[in-house]
Amino acid sequence: MGGKQLSVLVVDDSLLVRKQLRGILEEQGCTVLEATNGSQAFQTIETSQPDLILMDIVMPEQDGIEALRKIKEVKPGTKVVMVSSVGTQSYLKEAIKIGAYDFLQKPINAEAIHRLLTNLRKGECGA
Amino acid sequence: MFSQYFGQYLLNHGFLSPEQLYQALEAQQAAHVKLGVLAMSEGFLTASQVEEIHQEQTRRDQRFGEIALAKGYLTQEQLDSLLASQRKGHLLLGQALIDAKILNLNQLGRALKEYQEEHSLSDEQFSAVQGGDFSLLLRKTLNLDDQDQVLNDYLSLFAKNIIRFISSQAWLTRCVNNETAVGDWSVVQQISGSPSLTTAIAGSQQSILKLASLFAKEEIKDMDELAQASVAEFLNLHNGLFLVNMSNQGTELKLEPQVINKAGFVTNQNCQVFEVNMVQDKFSLIIEMKG
Repeated sequence: MGGKQLSVLVVDDSLLVRKQLRGILEEQGCTVLEATNGSQAFQTIETSQPDLILMDIVMPEQDGIEALRKIKEVKPGTKVVMVSSVGTQSYLKEAIKIGAYDFLQKPINAEAIHRLLTNLRKGECGA
Repeated sequence: MFSQYFGQYLLNHGFLSPEQLYQALEAQQAAHVKLGVLAMSEGFLTASQVEEIHQEQTRRDQRFGEIALAKGYLTQEQLDSLLASQRKGHLLLGQALIDAKILNLNQLGRALKEYQEEHSLSDEQFSAVQGGDFSLLLRKTLNLDDQDQVLNDYLSLFAKNIIRFISSQAWLTRCVNNETAVGDWSVVQQISGSPSLTTAIAGSQQSILKLASLFAKEEIKDMDELAQASVAEFLNLHNGLFLVNMSNQGTELKLEPQVINKAGFVTNQNCQVFEVNMVQDKFSLIIEMKG
């Protein structure tokens, strides 16, 4: 598989989900950063610039929608994909309106992550 | 999914032991349901008619359906519907029990009839339940109020999700709410909006560890962060999927972060308590509807 090595920030309060996503992403040749909530994610992107953020919605302290809003305000070019069990109309509309790059419904599906990375790499190469 | 609930009925009514049930539930994956068992479960044939056709088959090189048609026991239409059910894998548990000689045809016939009567199922409803009408099955088995659509939908999805994510041999039963603490560990998640619900999973450390291991698909031995995250994520995943279903019906709800407690969940009078039975273990699901 060609393309540069992507760095991905996984934001989820669940250790299990972070572990599962890390496994899938590393298998796809990505480097993985982790954060357990929205504010931690925000701190992380101040010091590093991941190519992609995979972010849960339901999290303590600062939820994914709020974090998405803040990230888009400060770094509008950041690609944020919401990865959540709550793919409801209202959460979807809100996330897309704020500028989410995509929305993946949990349970996590390695195929869907693979497709997402392939699309991202194609985009990075410039169409 | 009828298998898990019918199996539990057989267990509770002394038709078989827990070991025999688990053995049959395992064996049903490989069982091939014969037309006789299906015809009996549909009420088309009696056990003695099935036996009679089986006897004929030892003397004549003819299929079960052909003999039943020739004897006038089945119509072509009934045979066609049985063949369609056979392809869908109805009543694999019953066949597995017959194959393992745990029950004979008569006992299976009697158990099916008693199950139907005890749950007040019409012939059409019983057929639908065996054919996969899961919400009807749960409504009858758990004695749910027809009018309480939200609870019906929630439990129907939960029962499917435990089979999808935890164990193909898991089933729900209703428990008496004693308004006491349930379990040693609990995970609680609020669903807010209209309706508003408190949902919780509670159980002994051993049962919570088993649930965590089954969901994470790896053995977890201690109640560490991974174990807690696994159980919490299962509840979160189920509740999230419930919110998606509600959203598709036009009701938007909000999901709050889960809270994990090293303590049981204390039920109040508004709680409904259900037991989630897994092979040799169980945990509780608690739902409080707040309107």
